[in-house]
Amino acid sequence: MTWWDALVRAGAVPAAYVPPASMGRTDADDGAEPGADLVEGDVVQVHPVEVAPSPPACFLDGIEQWKVVGYDGVLPVVRAYVAAAVRRRGPDRRLRTAFEASREFAIAPLAGLAPERRRALEENCPDVVGISIEEGTQPGRVLELARRAVDSARQALERDLAERALARLAGAEWLVVDGLLSVSGKLAGHPRALGVIKSHGAQFFSGADLERALTVPADHRTSVFRARGGHARNEVYSWYLRLWPWEGNDLLYGLLRIEARADAATIAGASAVSGWLLGERAPIATPDARWDRLLYPIHDVETYLKARAPRDFALSRTSRLPRTGT
Amino acid sequence: MIARPDPVAIGRVVATELKPSTPHQFHFWTANETTIGIGAIVRVAEGERVVYGVVTDGFAYSDLATPLHDVIGAEGDPARAAESPTVRQEIRYWTAAVLRQIPEEPLQPVPLGQVFVASDTDVAQALRMDAYLHSATPTAIPIGLYTSGGLEAPVYLDADFLLGPEAAHLNISGVSGLATKTSAVEFLLASVFRHFPAHKGRVAAVCFNVKGPDLCFLDQPGELSDEDRRRYELLDVPAAPFEHVHYFAPLKADGVNLNTLRTHPELVDDVTPLTWGLQEVVDFAEVLLNRDDIDAKADAFIDYLRDRVLGRAFEDGFGNSHQVGTFADLDRFFRLVFDGLEMSGRSDTWRTHHIATMRKVRNRLSNISTRCKGLVTDDGPSSDLPWGSFEDRAVYVIDVANVDPLGQDLVFARAVSKLREHLERRDLGVDAVVVFVDELNKYAPGDGPETYVKKMLLDISERGRYLGLVLFSAEQFRSQVHRRVVGNAGTQVYGRMDMDELATPGYQVLSPATKIKLATLPVGELMVRHPHFTQPIFVRFPKPPVLRGRDGMGRFPAAVDLPFEDAVARQLVHMDRRVRPNQVKDLIADRTEEDVRRALAAVRQKRPEDVLAYFRKMLGGRVAADASGDATGALDATRATQFGTGPREPGAKKRAAGRGSGAVRRKACLSNGVSRISR
Repeated sequence: MTWWDALVRAGAVPAAYVPPASMGRTDADDGAEPGADLVEGDVVQVHPVEVAPSPPACFLDGIEQWKVVGYDGVLPVVRAYVAAAVRRRGPDRRLRTAFEASREFAIAPLAGLAPERRRALEENCPDVVGISIEEGTQPGRVLELARRAVDSARQALERDLAERALARLAGAEWLVVDGLLSVSGKLAGHPRALGVIKSHGAQFFSGADLERALTVPADHRTSVFRARGGHARNEVYSWYLRLWPWEGNDLLYGLLRIEARADAATIAGASAVSGWLLGERAPIATPDARWDRLLYPIHDVETYLKARAPRDFALSRTSRLPRTGT
Repeated sequence: MIARPDPVAIGRVVATELKPSTPHQFHFWTANETTIGIGAIVRVAEGERVVYGVVTDGFAYSDLATPLHDVIGAEGDPARAAESPTVRQEIRYWTAAVLRQIPEEPLQPVPLGQVFVASDTDVAQALRMDAYLHSATPTAIPIGLYTSGGLEAPVYLDADFLLGPEAAHLNISGVSGLATKTSAVEFLLASVFRHFPAHKGRVAAVCFNVKGPDLCFLDQPGELSDEDRRRYELLDVPAAPFEHVHYFAPLKADGVNLNTLRTHPELVDDVTPLTWGLQEVVDFAEVLLNRDDIDAKADAFIDYLRDRVLGRAFEDGFGNSHQVGTFADLDRFFRLVFDGLEMSGRSDTWRTHHIATMRKVRNRLSNISTRCKGLVTDDGPSSDLPWGSFEDRAVYVIDVANVDPLGQDLVFARAVSKLREHLERRDLGVDAVVVFVDELNKYAPGDGPETYVKKMLLDISERGRYLGLVLFSAEQFRSQVHRRVVGNAGTQVYGRMDMDELATPGYQVLSPATKIKLATLPVGELMVRHPHFTQPIFVRFPKPPVLRGRDGMGRFPAAVDLPFEDAVARQLVHMDRRVRPNQVKDLIADRTEEDVRRALAAVRQKRPEDVLAYFRKMLGGRVAADASGDATGALDATRATQFGTGPREPGAKKRAAGRGSGAVRRKACLSNGVSRISR
């Protein structure tokens, strides 16, 4: 018997609700107002980038999935799954899993649950994450808190895996992380760790610098800058890199922001790193809709993780149809 | 007991809504680097259920959504596509047809279990060979080795289904020129001879050599590689040529040189001439006569001849007694009847048969000995296969490669009829006979007229298994052979096939990949269908241990035809080493070839202790033509005209005078009104 079955037996109302944003991941967007200090030149400039061969590299990504499996009154109880993996690219140019971890757990406003439901949950689910709510909190707000808890769990898993991978990196090997490098001090301080950010909710420039940054042509990068605020929790250097021409599409089309160690060597090597990252645009990461910014190895890690995730998180086509009398 | 390491899974069954597992088919994936290929046998294990399957198709694809994305990723440069830092994820995805499920009931879809490479035990289980391989009375006959991923497992046919009585016959198809069909049959015959179960009795093979020197050197060792010898060892078949091979070939038109390519001086002594007279041929007149001009009246008259005249004392109503045993006797019978009708001034009808019908039949029958000269003799004893004393594990090769098609039909029809007749009486000397016929496209085509040979092949195919008469047949285009002939073959074997042939409806059950494999099969590999095998299986067989026809012709080139005298001398010397060629040449120097041939045939048949003496006696026992104008002279004159021997040479009369006893015997017979020549 699953823990959610036990919960229903204890009086909870069964549910099968998959919130629209629950099958993907989001980058953290909390923190202070973002800003940038140029560390390469006085104004944002664009630099041409030559495609270069890729060095040995590992790639890290994580996934999260969650859904509501029951209600105690109007309080949702959530089942969540997070996973992360590091896949190493071998000399045969194929990716193989080097590290992976996953966690399946329940999220519930424990304090708000009826005693018997709380007991059923705690006795049958070995991993329960409680969220604090005030009395009368709306269900929507509880779901938002649940989403943050899932995000947090996924980031913790990624951080842990990244730090394990860093400890095992070979001499010239790089670790490319999907997302922020600044979430981990060890990651942010490693000379061969890169964060590849493909969502641009936080803007670090304004005015002419912003225009130059967001209109950087294909096969070009911007000047390196120190990222302040925004997502940054540890100091990192960053720059924008355009993989594909944006004209005719969108400003953010093919645009990556790269994070690397805050060090002079990063400035010196930004073009070289950009060169091999540019080479990573092939093969194209289709059929993912974000293929213009999604490096194929990252896409591969994500595919791997999704293939190994529990199959019952996705909502089947018929599950929400009313049940017949029989 | 040596502990075997646990097998390692090489794949996993996957099923989707669009491509589900069924009780007869499943799909699985493997690593990109795998030993699995089309034709590989695999085992699926899930709980208590074990499923064996054979790979029938394979697919590889990547996560590329559309080829255009590859172009975009490489910016239109194929070289850059190969340089991408990461190789796309790709899959090796296989389709397998179920060979066997254990337990067999209830029959269920193949479970989504792990896939293992089959071991040799698995192969035996998968092909249901365990039932006849390990039974109290094993009936397993190796046909080759199943090879995959380093495994070499013998594949066995069930003798009960190959040689009867449950099923029987084997048909092999394949393109010409690769020596696969003949080689496969040669190997299989060796295997049958080695493994034919003791409780099933004795077995022999009759092979019709219908083209070139294909089967002319079955007793000579061919070159084998170490690999071939190792395979022979695995299959427990001796890597040696056939021990007992008997060759039969008709004579050429000269009546003394053999009509075969096995005429090299070192080998020709093993070839027995195949010659038949009227008695042997008349029952197969239907084979030889053109159906277009032999009508019901002619048929009736032939039946009359067969029932009332041939081989028995017969009065023609004009005062002549006949004992028709040869074509010459038959001709005389006709001549005297026609003379009688003419002299008596009676009507045009004799014994209800119109004279025109009789003349037509005479004409057609007389033609037989002309068209099949060398095989059919006008006179003299026949030389035939040893009906009734067939040897166990012996091959009887009948070489008709250079014989007129009509003669080939006759040889085939008579040989098979005799086999059938003796097998029915259980007095052939063996309990089962494998008859090998190549070029089935020619002898049993799917369309075309209903020939006697086709009817005989159908008869063997449909009823032979009850008698132990088994047909091993071969052809290039299976689709163009009579459906009942190939359909009745319990075992079907395929060598490399022509793509056009594979496009015909008979091959629709094969997957495209299997067809491709068939179209590119290397020499020495076959696809086998057998009643116990649910699906076709690919096997390798070793090169046959005998000299191939082409190689044999290099090592033992055919001898040039000898002059008449030399050929006669050689045959007599072969029968008796004491005979000196010059003696023979002196003896026959001024004799007609016809007489010499007749005497030679008599020696061949009798095989006397003193060959030369017997030859002299036979030669002396004949009557030479003379100019007396009596019946004897008329007969010989007719013969001389008919056989083109012409007038006798000077000295013939003198010799005839010297053969007093023969002449006296002959005249005594004539005085009694009996025309048969005394022997």
